Amino acid sequence: MKKFTSIIAALLVLGSMPSMAQTQKGSILIKNATVITITNGTLEDTDVLVENGIIKKVGKNLSASNVQTIDATGKFLMPGIIDAHSHVGLDAVNEATSPITSEVKMEDVVNPYDVGIYRALAGGVTISHAMHGSANAIGGQNITLKHRFGTSNPQDLFMQDAARTIKFALGENPTRVHGRGNNNQPRTRMGVEAVIRNGFNEAIQYKKTWEDYNAALKKKGATPIPPKFDTRLQTLVDILDGKIIIHCHSYRADEIYMLINVCREFNITNIVFSHVNEGFKVAPELAEYTMGASIFADWWAYKFEVYYSTAYNAAILTKNGVVTSINSDSGELIRHLYHEAGKAQRYGELTDDQTLALITINPAKQLGIADKVGSIEEGKQGDLVIFNEHPLSVYAIPQMTFVDGVKYFDINTDANDMRIKVSATDAVEPIFLKEHDERCMHGVDFFFTNFGRNLFEHSH
Amino acid sequence: MNINPNIKLFGSLLILVLCTSLSPLIAQSDPTGEKRVTGTYAITNATITTAPGKSMAGATILIKDGLIHAVGTNLSLPAETQLIKADSLFIYPGFIDGASNSGITKPNDPQKGENFNPSDPSDELAGITPWRQVMDHFDPKSNQIADWRKTGFTIAQLIPDGGMLTGKSAIVVFGNSKSSNVLAQNTGLYAKFRGSRGTYPATTLGVMAKFRDLYKNAELSAQHARIFASAAGLTRPEINKTYEAFYPVLDKNIPILFEVADDLEIRRALSLQKELGFRMVLVGVTDVDRVIDEIKGSDTKILLSLNLPDDKAFKDKKDNESEDIKSRLDRVKAAHQNALKQAGILEKAGVKFGFITLGAKSGDMMKNIRLMVANGLSEDAALAALTINNAEILNIQKFTGTLEKGKLANLIISTKPIFAEEAEVKYVMADGYLFDYDLKAKNKGNGIEGVWEYTSETPAGSSGGTIEIKKGDAGYTGTITYDDPAGTGKASTGMNSITYSDNTLSFNFEVPVEGNLLKVNVTGEIKGGSFEGNLSIAEYGSFPMKANKKPNL
Repeated sequence: MKKFTSIIAALLVLGSMPSMAQTQKGSILIKNATVITITNGTLEDTDVLVENGIIKKVGKNLSASNVQTIDATGKFLMPGIIDAHSHVGLDAVNEATSPITSEVKMEDVVNPYDVGIYRALAGGVTISHAMHGSANAIGGQNITLKHRFGTSNPQDLFMQDAARTIKFALGENPTRVHGRGNNNQPRTRMGVEAVIRNGFNEAIQYKKTWEDYNAALKKKGATPIPPKFDTRLQTLVDILDGKIIIHCHSYRADEIYMLINVCREFNITNIVFSHVNEGFKVAPELAEYTMGASIFADWWAYKFEVYYSTAYNAAILTKNGVVTSINSDSGELIRHLYHEAGKAQRYGELTDDQTLALITINPAKQLGIADKVGSIEEGKQGDLVIFNEHPLSVYAIPQMTFVDGVKYFDINTDANDMRIKVSATDAVEPIFLKEHDERCMHGVDFFFTNFGRNLFEHSH
Repeated sequence: MNINPNIKLFGSLLILVLCTSLSPLIAQSDPTGEKRVTGTYAITNATITTAPGKSMAGATILIKDGLIHAVGTNLSLPAETQLIKADSLFIYPGFIDGASNSGITKPNDPQKGENFNPSDPSDELAGITPWRQVMDHFDPKSNQIADWRKTGFTIAQLIPDGGMLTGKSAIVVFGNSKSSNVLAQNTGLYAKFRGSRGTYPATTLGVMAKFRDLYKNAELSAQHARIFASAAGLTRPEINKTYEAFYPVLDKNIPILFEVADDLEIRRALSLQKELGFRMVLVGVTDVDRVIDEIKGSDTKILLSLNLPDDKAFKDKKDNESEDIKSRLDRVKAAHQNALKQAGILEKAGVKFGFITLGAKSGDMMKNIRLMVANGLSEDAALAALTINNAEILNIQKFTGTLEKGKLANLIISTKPIFAEEAEVKYVMADGYLFDYDLKAKNKGNGIEGVWEYTSETPAGSSGGTIEIKKGDAGYTGTITYDDPAGTGKASTGMNSITYSDNTLSFNFEVPVEGNLLKVNVTGEIKGGSFEGNLSIAEYGSFPMKANKKPNL
């Protein structure tokens, strides 16, 4: 008995220790599930063994010693859902003060205490792409998060091996904020193109300036003067060098086609379009020149440029060979992305695998992480969800969610209050209005700090 | 030995003449009578704590020329010594404040002008003013200095107000008002994660990026200047006062004083420090239990606020709340308890830290320290955090922080051990100048019930009204009248949380201003029939207030 308590005590101490260099990796054996692999069909009565965070074996009658076993008889196992467009877990979203803010990094403002991360886990989402807002033509650098909820350290949430990505935005948002709001460029869609094009051209000059300087340094006896350092332009150089994937907020076909042409001109192939409500009009072009489109299933008409929309968008894009995903862009929608995917199937009659690819392997491809996550394959990371029913059933409810083989959500042990950090002074904590992209909100957010974000829903 | 008394008298006169002739004021008469008779003091037969954990009973401390001349027993005292009998009293080193905004005003924001482009503001409009000197924005006559000195503070590091990079801090002693009292300038560059509303950088995102950008370009600018100085035929460096203000930081001569609001901001500051390599002091540290390993693993100094969260959220809650509300309140209570433990957690982890008054109220200070002590902080560590630790963090330990020969004559004389509940500060000596808080004048036991007439000085001018206090079964109740901000005439409202103990009266009331309720806190001291204190309004500051009791009819 005494030994037992000391083991418990040791576990508690270990459990509360902040993970310094490495995040937690788990081992788990899930038995007798209907395994939806996404990339290799659906396997009945199959076991999945995860060791140290990696899927070790998918097969029948697996066994492993010293590994917790979960009987998933009659249940469905699928890869963790991936959201390619989210703002969950961020302390700030928009640095809406300049048409180009490629120097800002979302990793600087990750808030691991956001209970929205846990809610996403309860919806089976294991990875979200925490993005800058859409106020600027070229926004900030995004961060891909693994939902390792429970830590105080934002870095524990970072998917360290994910690709670098950046937010771009076209259309009404940047023209409203900077043009109408600040009497600055861009005021029109033409201006948005000019801002992006000028940015890239300046980046080319910037790159040359530093190359010349570094070359001059190598000459004997030379005393070159260092140029000014500019992270903003350096980030654009990295885009031109193919090191960063663009994720671009967009609605209309003409502007999508515009940015495709700009990218072709600058030899940029790493681009994904977000929202893309008129994507069905330029599906062949999206298929040929981009890494795909990340869309809403049936969400539109919230502003003028989003009226020409269809619930067949996902199916049309998919059937034209566009890598297509369905994203949430919302702390609420992120909890039922499997239903959102189901809508695409309802309208466009996609197959189950095509449909579930919209929220697993396809967003993984768009984030440059498809070799690590997005399907149940040996060697991939152990991000998994167990559903009670087929995930495309309207009765589907996630039961358990795993990240790197560690269970972060279990519907049977789901406490009422999952907050990690609580205010020492307020029983009801104020919810801060985080959206700053509306010019009309400038200077007045102070008066609205007690209003919920839901009242001022993120404008897409 | 029999010495001719005349010779002895002559000797002392000679000393007096020699001493005073060093002062340039000797030739002038002193019609004000303010000039002190002597700068030599001996405080005798007290319990002297020279440093945390080091006390001696029945000891005397001799002060001369603003310095501690000797501490011990059987000291020989010069003839001009003014004796202060301190039998049964306790002497401590004067407190040192790691970061203070007492007496600091915020410089006016510059005008944005027509066609202002928020994406490309001047540094000043973006809250980037690292070249500012705090002494240019300091009012030494501020009541706040007097308030904090009364609690025992004798030295403070003053920090400038402003945006993300407010300017350079300085260290002052709270001594004689005729002196500039500056001990050091350019002691640190003050930074915070504060965006510039509607202007780049507006959010933490922009502030982090801008900080990196400024730092790296300051390095390149310094490099350019060096190359230019050593070679001919080169483009001249463009002088940029923002970059130049960073040079002492780059050279590691001064630290960045980074103001942090919570553990996430601590991590952000630590990550900037790790990336760029500057010396750092974290100001206003909280939530240390969540970042203790990161703090220990970094070469960073820690300053803790003397402010603690209040317990209003759960203090007066009734038992008939629902289970849901109860469990919520339990969590708030636990979080509150945890906040009180932070100083103790740092001590246990072996992290030296100092206290700051920034964001704290002088009236709550000792109460808060006692709360921290009740929650795991040792009294020695509390004293160290108010004295020697801050001296070390500010790099002034050579001449202050403890009571030793040769150090500045900064000390506190209290009636009981300093952290005891009934302790009262009787004298404070700062820079060798004695401040006497005469306790005898306090008229204990004289009630506060009755009608008072008060006046207060605010930037809007002098205003006043009446206060009426009654005592009932449930404690004091009262009403206050004030100049109605909505128009002319007087308005009146009820007073809340009226407390009166140890001659200190405090209460608050709320004034409706344009649809908002402005909370006004009043605290001050009652001496006989008069009240002297401060009226403070969050965000606006603290203003002097006086009141006199009308005779009870």
